[in-house]
Amino acid sequence: MYQLAMRLLLVIFFLISPDIYSHDGINHSIKGKSKADDAAQCVEPTEIMQKEHFVFLYHQRDKTVINGVRTKNHSFANCIDCHVSYDEVGKPIPINSEGQFCQTCHVQTAVNIDCFSCHASVPRGRKPEAHISFNYNHLENQVQVPHEIEELVSYVEGIK
Amino acid sequence: MTTIEKLSRRGFIVKSISALSTVYFIPDILTSVHAAKPLSEEVKSDTKWAMSIDVDKCAKGCTACVDACVEENGLYGFDRPETDSQWIRKLTIKDIKTDKVKVVPMLCQHCENPPCCDVCPTGASFRRIDGIVMVNQHTCIGCRYCMMACPFKARSFVHENLTEQVTTAPRGKGCVESCNFCVNRIDHGIPTTACEEACMKEGHKAISFGDLSDPNSRVSQALKTKQNRRLRADLSLKQRVTYSNI
Repeated sequence: MYQLAMRLLLVIFFLISPDIYSHDGINHSIKGKSKADDAAQCVEPTEIMQKEHFVFLYHQRDKTVINGVRTKNHSFANCIDCHVSYDEVGKPIPINSEGQFCQTCHVQTAVNIDCFSCHASVPRGRKPEAHISFNYNHLENQVQVPHEIEELVSYVEGIK
Repeated sequence: MTTIEKLSRRGFIVKSISALSTVYFIPDILTSVHAAKPLSEEVKSDTKWAMSIDVDKCAKGCTACVDACVEENGLYGFDRPETDSQWIRKLTIKDIKTDKVKVVPMLCQHCENPPCCDVCPTGASFRRIDGIVMVNQHTCIGCRYCMMACPFKARSFVHENLTEQVTTAPRGKGCVESCNFCVNRIDHGIPTTACEEACMKEGHKAISFGDLSDPNSRVSQALKTKQNRRLRADLSLKQRVTYSNI
Protein backbone atom coordinates (compact mmCIF):
# COMPACT_ATOMS: atom_id res chain seq x y z
CA MET A 1 0.00 0.00 0.00
CA TYR A 2 2.84 2.36 0.91
CA GLN A 3 4.65 1.55 -2.36
CA LEU A 4 1.50 2.14 -4.35
CA ALA A 5 1.04 5.53 -2.73
CA MET A 6 4.67 6.45 -3.47
CA ARG A 7 4.30 5.43 -7.13
CA LEU A 8 1.11 7.40 -7.44
CA LEU A 9 2.83 10.42 -5.95
CA LEU A 10 5.72 10.00 -8.41
CA VAL A 11 3.34 9.79 -11.36
CA ILE A 12 1.50 12.90 -10.17
CA PHE A 13 4.84 14.67 -9.69
CA PHE A 14 5.97 13.95 -13.25
CA LEU A 15 2.61 14.89 -14.69
CA ILE A 16 2.39 18.32 -13.17
CA SER A 17 6.05 19.27 -13.08
CA PRO A 18 6.33 20.79 -16.60
CA ASP A 19 3.62 23.31 -15.83
CA ILE A 20 5.13 24.42 -12.57
CA TYR A 21 8.74 24.68 -13.63
CA SER A 22 8.36 25.97 -17.18
CA HIS A 23 9.89 29.27 -16.08
CA ASP A 24 12.56 27.61 -13.91
CA GLY A 25 10.57 28.60 -10.89
CA ILE A 26 11.10 32.28 -11.57
CA ASN A 27 8.00 34.34 -11.11
CA HIS A 28 6.71 36.09 -14.23
CA SER A 29 6.87 39.66 -12.98
CA ILE A 30 7.87 42.74 -14.93
CA LYS A 31 9.77 45.64 -13.47
CA GLY A 32 7.85 48.89 -13.34
CA LYS A 33 4.17 49.62 -13.74
CA SER A 34 2.19 49.70 -16.95
CA LYS A 35 -1.33 50.73 -17.93
CA ALA A 36 -2.05 47.08 -18.75
CA ASP A 37 -1.52 46.11 -15.09
CA ASP A 38 -4.78 47.81 -14.19
CA ALA A 39 -6.76 46.48 -17.15
CA ALA A 40 -8.94 43.42 -16.62
CA GLN A 41 -8.22 41.98 -20.05
CA CYS A 42 -6.33 42.79 -23.24
CA VAL A 43 -8.15 43.62 -26.48
CA GLU A 44 -8.87 39.89 -26.90
CA PRO A 45 -8.97 37.09 -24.29
CA THR A 46 -5.50 36.44 -22.84
CA GLU A 47 -5.16 32.88 -24.22
CA ILE A 48 -5.86 34.15 -27.74
CA MET A 49 -3.48 37.08 -27.33
CA GLN A 50 -0.68 34.80 -26.14
CA LYS A 51 -0.98 32.54 -29.16
CA GLU A 52 -2.12 34.88 -31.91
CA HIS A 53 -0.92 38.40 -31.18
CA PHE A 54 1.42 38.36 -34.17
CA VAL A 55 -1.41 37.31 -36.47
CA PHE A 56 -3.35 40.40 -35.42
CA LEU A 57 -0.27 42.56 -35.82
CA TYR A 58 0.53 41.21 -39.30
CA HIS A 59 -3.04 41.72 -40.40
CA GLN A 60 -3.28 45.23 -39.00
CA ARG A 61 0.10 46.26 -40.33
CA ASP A 62 -0.87 45.83 -43.98
CA LYS A 63 -4.28 47.37 -43.39
CA THR A 64 -2.63 50.38 -41.80
CA VAL A 65 0.23 50.96 -44.21
CA ILE A 66 -1.64 50.27 -47.43
CA ASN A 67 -5.23 51.20 -46.63
CA GLY A 68 -4.82 53.76 -43.88
CA VAL A 69 -6.89 51.93 -41.25
CA ARG A 70 -5.87 53.28 -37.86
CA THR A 71 -8.10 51.43 -35.38
CA LYS A 72 -6.47 51.14 -32.01
CA ASN A 73 -7.35 47.60 -30.94
CA HIS A 74 -4.71 45.70 -32.89
CA SER A 75 -2.39 48.62 -33.49
CA PHE A 76 1.26 48.15 -32.62
CA ALA A 77 1.58 51.68 -31.23
CA ASN A 78 -1.32 50.98 -28.92
CA CYS A 79 0.19 47.68 -27.72
CA ILE A 80 3.28 49.59 -26.67
CA ASP A 81 1.33 52.47 -25.19
CA CYS A 82 -0.52 50.08 -22.88
CA HIS A 83 2.14 47.48 -22.09
CA VAL A 84 5.20 49.68 -21.63
CA SER A 85 6.31 49.91 -17.99
CA TYR A 86 7.21 53.12 -16.24
CA ASP A 87 9.88 53.24 -13.53
CA GLU A 88 9.62 55.10 -10.20
CA VAL A 89 10.29 58.49 -11.76
CA GLY A 90 7.68 57.90 -14.48
CA LYS A 91 10.18 57.27 -17.26
CA PRO A 92 9.11 54.59 -19.75
CA ILE A 93 11.36 51.50 -19.92
CA PRO A 94 11.92 50.21 -23.49
CA ILE A 95 9.49 47.34 -23.97
CA ASN A 96 12.12 45.18 -25.65
CA SER A 97 14.69 45.55 -22.87
CA GLU A 98 15.46 42.68 -20.55
CA GLY A 99 12.69 41.66 -18.21
CA GLN A 100 10.09 43.73 -20.03
CA PHE A 101 6.79 42.67 -21.57
CA CYS A 102 7.88 41.69 -25.08
CA GLN A 103 11.28 40.40 -24.19
CA THR A 104 10.40 38.06 -21.30
CA CYS A 105 8.36 35.71 -23.46
CA HIS A 106 10.44 36.09 -26.60
CA VAL A 107 13.56 35.05 -24.73
CA GLN A 108 11.73 32.10 -23.24
CA THR A 109 10.43 30.95 -26.63
CA ALA A 110 13.62 31.86 -28.53
CA VAL A 111 11.82 34.28 -30.81
CA ASN A 112 13.95 37.08 -32.16
CA ILE A 113 12.03 39.69 -34.11
CA ASP A 114 13.18 43.12 -35.12
CA CYS A 115 10.08 45.27 -34.69
CA PHE A 116 12.04 47.74 -32.63
CA SER A 117 14.79 48.43 -35.12
CA CYS A 118 12.20 50.69 -36.76
CA HIS A 119 9.34 51.12 -34.28
CA ALA A 120 9.74 53.18 -31.13
CA SER A 121 10.06 50.93 -28.08
CA VAL A 122 8.56 53.58 -25.80
CA PRO A 123 5.76 56.05 -26.57
CA ARG A 124 7.66 58.95 -28.07
CA GLY A 125 6.71 62.14 -29.91
CA ARG A 126 3.29 63.50 -30.67
CA LYS A 127 0.35 61.34 -29.65
CA PRO A 128 -1.35 60.09 -32.82
CA GLU A 129 -4.76 61.36 -31.78
CA ALA A 130 -3.49 64.52 -30.08
CA HIS A 131 -4.98 67.04 -32.46
CA ILE A 132 -8.19 65.32 -33.48
CA SER A 133 -10.50 67.86 -31.86
CA PHE A 134 -8.17 70.69 -32.72
CA ASN A 135 -9.68 73.21 -35.07
CA TYR A 136 -7.15 74.30 -37.66
CA ASN A 137 -9.25 77.15 -39.02
CA HIS A 138 -7.51 79.57 -36.70
CA LEU A 139 -4.33 79.12 -38.72
CA GLU A 140 -6.05 80.22 -41.91
CA ASN A 141 -7.80 83.15 -40.27
CA GLN A 142 -4.67 84.29 -38.53
CA VAL A 143 -4.36 87.98 -39.35
CA GLN A 144 -1.15 88.39 -41.17
CA VAL A 145 0.67 91.71 -41.33
CA PRO A 146 3.03 91.20 -44.22
CA HIS A 147 6.10 93.32 -44.28
CA GLU A 148 5.30 94.28 -47.88
CA ILE A 149 2.27 96.26 -46.69
CA GLU A 150 4.31 98.01 -44.03
CA GLU A 151 6.94 98.84 -46.62
CA LEU A 152 4.28 100.14 -48.99
CA VAL A 153 2.75 102.34 -46.30
CA SER A 154 6.12 103.82 -45.38
CA TYR A 155 6.89 104.34 -49.07
CA VAL A 156 3.62 106.17 -49.67
CA GLU A 157 4.12 108.27 -46.55
CA GLY A 158 7.61 109.13 -47.76
CA ILE A 159 6.17 110.51 -51.01
CA LYS A 160 3.85 112.84 -49.12
CA MET B 1 -45.62 98.30 -16.01
CA THR B 2 -43.99 95.26 -17.50
CA THR B 3 -45.62 91.92 -17.13
CA ILE B 4 -43.39 88.97 -16.64
CA GLU B 5 -44.79 85.98 -18.49
CA LYS B 6 -44.76 83.05 -16.19
CA LEU B 7 -43.09 80.04 -17.75
CA SER B 8 -45.11 76.87 -17.50
CA ARG B 9 -43.44 73.70 -16.35
CA ARG B 10 -43.81 72.18 -19.83
CA GLY B 11 -42.49 75.32 -21.51
CA PHE B 12 -39.48 75.39 -19.22
CA ILE B 13 -38.55 71.80 -20.00
CA VAL B 14 -39.02 72.22 -23.78
CA LYS B 15 -37.00 75.43 -23.90
CA SER B 16 -34.16 74.17 -21.75
CA ILE B 17 -33.87 70.94 -23.77
CA SER B 18 -33.77 72.84 -27.07
CA ALA B 19 -31.18 75.26 -25.68
CA LEU B 20 -29.04 72.39 -24.45
CA SER B 21 -29.36 70.52 -27.73
CA THR B 22 -27.90 73.44 -29.70
CA VAL B 23 -24.96 73.54 -27.32
CA TYR B 24 -24.56 69.82 -27.77
CA PHE B 25 -24.86 69.73 -31.56
CA ILE B 26 -22.76 72.72 -32.58
CA PRO B 27 -19.38 71.08 -31.89
CA ASP B 28 -20.48 68.12 -34.02
CA ILE B 29 -21.27 70.41 -36.91
CA LEU B 30 -17.92 72.15 -36.57
CA THR B 31 -15.88 68.97 -36.69
CA SER B 32 -17.83 67.58 -39.63
CA VAL B 33 -16.54 70.49 -41.73
CA HIS B 34 -13.29 68.60 -42.12
CA ALA B 35 -15.15 65.35 -42.84
CA ALA B 36 -12.48 63.31 -41.14
CA LYS B 37 -12.42 59.66 -42.08
CA PRO B 38 -13.28 57.29 -39.21
CA LEU B 39 -10.20 55.43 -38.02
CA SER B 40 -11.71 52.08 -39.00
CA GLU B 41 -12.39 53.05 -42.59
CA GLU B 42 -10.05 52.49 -45.51
CA VAL B 43 -8.87 55.46 -47.55
CA LYS B 44 -10.84 56.14 -50.72
CA SER B 45 -9.89 57.38 -54.15
CA ASP B 46 -12.30 60.30 -53.92
CA THR B 47 -9.82 61.98 -51.60
CA LYS B 48 -6.96 63.55 -53.52
CA TRP B 49 -4.26 64.97 -51.31
CA ALA B 50 -2.20 67.66 -52.94
CA MET B 51 0.03 70.57 -52.16
CA SER B 52 0.67 73.90 -53.80
CA ILE B 53 3.74 75.97 -53.00
CA ASP B 54 3.94 79.69 -53.69
CA VAL B 55 7.65 80.22 -54.21
CA ASP B 56 7.40 84.02 -53.91
CA LYS B 57 6.10 83.67 -50.37
CA CYS B 58 8.84 81.25 -49.35
CA ALA B 59 11.31 83.28 -47.33
CA LYS B 60 15.03 83.01 -47.81
CA GLY B 61 16.79 81.70 -44.71
CA CYS B 62 13.59 80.37 -43.14
CA THR B 63 13.72 76.66 -42.32
CA ALA B 64 10.44 76.36 -40.43
CA CYS B 65 9.06 73.64 -42.72
CA VAL B 66 12.24 71.57 -42.59
CA ASP B 67 12.47 71.86 -38.80
CA ALA B 68 8.81 70.96 -38.38
CA CYS B 69 9.31 67.87 -40.57
CA VAL B 70 12.30 66.78 -38.52
CA GLU B 71 10.32 67.26 -35.33
CA GLU B 72 7.19 65.51 -36.60
CA ASN B 73 8.93 62.47 -38.03
CA GLY B 74 11.92 62.22 -35.69
CA LEU B 75 14.40 62.69 -38.53
CA TYR B 76 17.37 63.41 -36.33
CA GLY B 77 20.62 62.84 -38.15
CA PHE B 78 24.23 62.08 -37.42
CA ASP B 79 25.56 65.45 -38.56
CA ARG B 80 26.46 63.93 -41.89
CA PRO B 81 24.61 66.05 -44.45
CA GLU B 82 25.58 63.76 -47.32
CA THR B 83 23.66 60.80 -45.96
CA ASP B 84 21.25 62.13 -43.33
CA SER B 85 17.59 61.74 -44.18
CA GLN B 86 15.77 64.71 -45.63
CA TRP B 87 12.09 64.52 -46.40
CA ILE B 88 11.88 68.19 -47.27
CA ARG B 89 14.78 70.44 -48.14
CA LYS B 90 15.22 73.96 -49.41
CA LEU B 91 16.83 74.53 -52.76
CA THR B 92 18.18 77.79 -54.08
CA ILE B 93 17.54 78.24 -57.77
CA LYS B 94 18.75 80.95 -60.09
CA ASP B 95 17.23 82.05 -63.36
CA ILE B 96 20.07 81.99 -65.89
CA LYS B 97 18.52 84.82 -67.90
CA THR B 98 17.68 87.28 -65.17
CA ASP B 99 19.95 86.09 -62.33
CA LYS B 100 16.90 86.16 -60.05
CA VAL B 101 17.42 83.85 -57.07
CA LYS B 102 14.56 81.97 -55.45
CA VAL B 103 14.28 79.39 -52.71
CA VAL B 104 12.12 76.33 -53.30
CA PRO B 105 11.01 73.74 -50.78
CA MET B 106 11.59 70.35 -52.39
CA LEU B 107 9.86 67.23 -51.17
CA CYS B 108 8.35 64.06 -52.60
CA GLN B 109 6.15 65.31 -55.44
CA HIS B 110 3.59 62.51 -55.00
CA CYS B 111 3.35 61.79 -58.72
CA GLU B 112 0.30 60.14 -60.20
CA ASN B 113 2.68 58.15 -62.39
CA PRO B 114 5.47 57.62 -59.88
CA PRO B 115 8.73 56.32 -61.39
CA CYS B 116 9.81 55.03 -57.96
CA CYS B 117 6.91 52.59 -57.92
CA ASP B 118 7.64 51.49 -61.48
CA VAL B 119 11.14 50.35 -60.61
CA CYS B 120 10.52 48.89 -57.15
CA PRO B 121 11.24 45.14 -57.29
CA THR B 122 9.17 44.23 -54.22
CA GLY B 123 6.25 46.61 -54.53
CA ALA B 124 7.32 48.37 -51.38
CA SER B 125 7.10 51.73 -53.12
CA PHE B 126 3.44 52.20 -53.72
CA ARG B 127 0.88 54.88 -54.35
CA ARG B 128 -1.88 54.85 -51.81
CA ILE B 129 -5.33 55.14 -53.31
CA ASP B 130 -5.72 58.72 -52.04
CA GLY B 131 -2.59 59.80 -53.92
CA ILE B 132 0.14 59.54 -51.29
CA VAL B 133 3.30 57.88 -52.57
CA MET B 134 4.85 55.92 -49.71
CA VAL B 135 7.36 53.22 -48.87
CA ASN B 136 6.04 50.11 -47.19
CA GLN B 137 9.09 49.58 -45.01
CA HIS B 138 7.95 46.07 -44.11
CA THR B 139 8.71 44.96 -47.65
CA CYS B 140 11.46 47.44 -48.62
CA ILE B 141 14.76 45.62 -49.18
CA GLY B 142 16.84 48.78 -49.45
CA CYS B 143 17.95 48.33 -53.05
CA ARG B 144 17.61 52.10 -53.68
CA TYR B 145 16.36 51.74 -57.26
CA CYS B 146 13.62 54.23 -56.38
CA MET B 147 16.18 56.79 -55.28
CA MET B 148 17.82 56.56 -58.67
CA ALA B 149 14.50 56.69 -60.51
CA CYS B 150 13.24 59.80 -58.72
CA PRO B 151 13.97 62.90 -60.82
CA PHE B 152 13.57 65.14 -57.76
CA LYS B 153 16.01 63.38 -55.46
CA ALA B 154 13.24 63.27 -52.92
CA ARG B 155 14.10 60.01 -51.22
CA SER B 156 16.61 59.16 -48.51
CA PHE B 157 18.18 55.95 -47.35
CA VAL B 158 18.78 55.16 -43.70
CA HIS B 159 22.38 54.07 -43.38
CA GLU B 160 22.71 53.67 -39.65
CA ASN B 161 20.97 52.11 -36.68
CA LEU B 162 18.38 54.45 -35.21
CA THR B 163 17.15 54.53 -31.65
CA GLU B 164 15.07 57.67 -31.20
CA GLN B 165 12.21 57.10 -33.65
CA VAL B 166 8.86 58.65 -32.82
CA THR B 167 5.79 56.46 -32.45
CA THR B 168 3.98 58.01 -35.40
CA ALA B 169 6.87 57.57 -37.86
CA PRO B 170 8.61 54.19 -37.72
CA ARG B 171 11.86 54.20 -39.68
CA GLY B 172 15.03 52.18 -39.59
CA LYS B 173 18.30 51.10 -41.08
CA GLY B 174 18.23 49.54 -44.53
CA CYS B 175 15.04 51.19 -45.76
CA VAL B 176 14.33 54.02 -48.14
CA GLU B 177 12.03 56.75 -46.89
CA SER B 178 10.51 59.98 -48.08
CA CYS B 179 7.79 62.51 -47.40
CA ASN B 180 4.44 60.82 -46.89
CA PHE B 181 2.31 63.96 -46.49
CA CYS B 182 2.28 63.27 -42.72
CA VAL B 183 0.08 60.26 -43.37
CA ASN B 184 -0.41 59.57 -39.68
CA ARG B 185 -1.86 63.02 -39.14
CA ILE B 186 -4.13 62.75 -42.16
CA ASP B 187 -5.47 59.36 -41.11
CA HIS B 188 -6.21 60.76 -37.68
CA GLY B 189 -8.25 63.57 -39.18
CA ILE B 190 -5.75 66.40 -39.00
CA PRO B 191 -6.10 68.13 -42.36
CA THR B 192 -2.63 69.66 -42.46
CA THR B 193 0.97 68.56 -42.75
CA ALA B 194 3.67 69.60 -40.30
CA CYS B 195 5.42 71.76 -42.92
CA GLU B 196 2.24 73.58 -43.89
CA GLU B 197 1.36 74.19 -40.26
CA ALA B 198 4.83 75.57 -39.56
CA CYS B 199 4.72 77.79 -42.66
CA MET B 200 1.35 79.20 -41.61
CA LYS B 201 2.53 79.78 -38.07
CA GLU B 202 5.53 81.68 -39.42
CA GLY B 203 3.07 83.83 -41.35
CA HIS B 204 4.52 83.06 -44.77
CA LYS B 205 1.66 80.85 -45.98
CA ALA B 206 3.76 79.60 -48.88
CA ILE B 207 2.54 76.01 -48.55
CA SER B 208 -1.12 75.11 -49.12
CA PHE B 209 -2.14 71.54 -48.50
CA GLY B 210 -5.48 69.83 -48.78
CA ASP B 211 -7.92 67.67 -50.64
CA LEU B 212 -8.27 68.48 -54.35
CA SER B 213 -11.80 67.12 -54.48
CA ASP B 214 -12.90 69.66 -51.88
CA PRO B 215 -13.29 72.99 -53.73
CA ASN B 216 -12.94 74.93 -50.48
CA SER B 217 -9.69 73.33 -49.36
CA ARG B 218 -6.63 75.54 -49.15
CA VAL B 219 -4.91 73.78 -52.03
CA SER B 220 -7.94 74.07 -54.31
CA GLN B 221 -8.15 77.78 -53.55
CA ALA B 222 -4.45 78.20 -54.24
CA LEU B 223 -4.76 76.37 -57.56
CA LYS B 224 -7.72 78.55 -58.49
CA THR B 225 -6.13 81.88 -57.67
CA LYS B 226 -2.57 81.31 -58.83
CA GLN B 227 -1.10 79.76 -61.91
CA ASN B 228 0.59 76.58 -60.78
CA ARG B 229 3.04 74.46 -62.68
CA ARG B 230 4.67 71.12 -62.21
CA LEU B 231 8.42 70.72 -62.18
CA ARG B 232 9.81 68.83 -65.16
CA ALA B 233 6.40 68.72 -66.79
CA ASP B 234 8.07 67.10 -69.80
CA LEU B 235 8.28 63.83 -67.86
CA SER B 236 4.45 63.78 -67.54
CA LEU B 237 4.57 62.35 -64.04
CA LYS B 238 1.49 64.36 -63.02
CA GLN B 239 2.80 65.39 -59.65
CA ARG B 240 0.38 66.35 -56.89
CA VAL B 241 2.84 68.95 -55.60
CA THR B 242 2.76 72.05 -57.76
CA TYR B 243 4.58 75.36 -57.63
CA SER B 244 3.48 78.88 -58.45
CA ASN B 245 5.61 81.93 -59.20
CA ILE B 246 8.56 79.77 -60.09
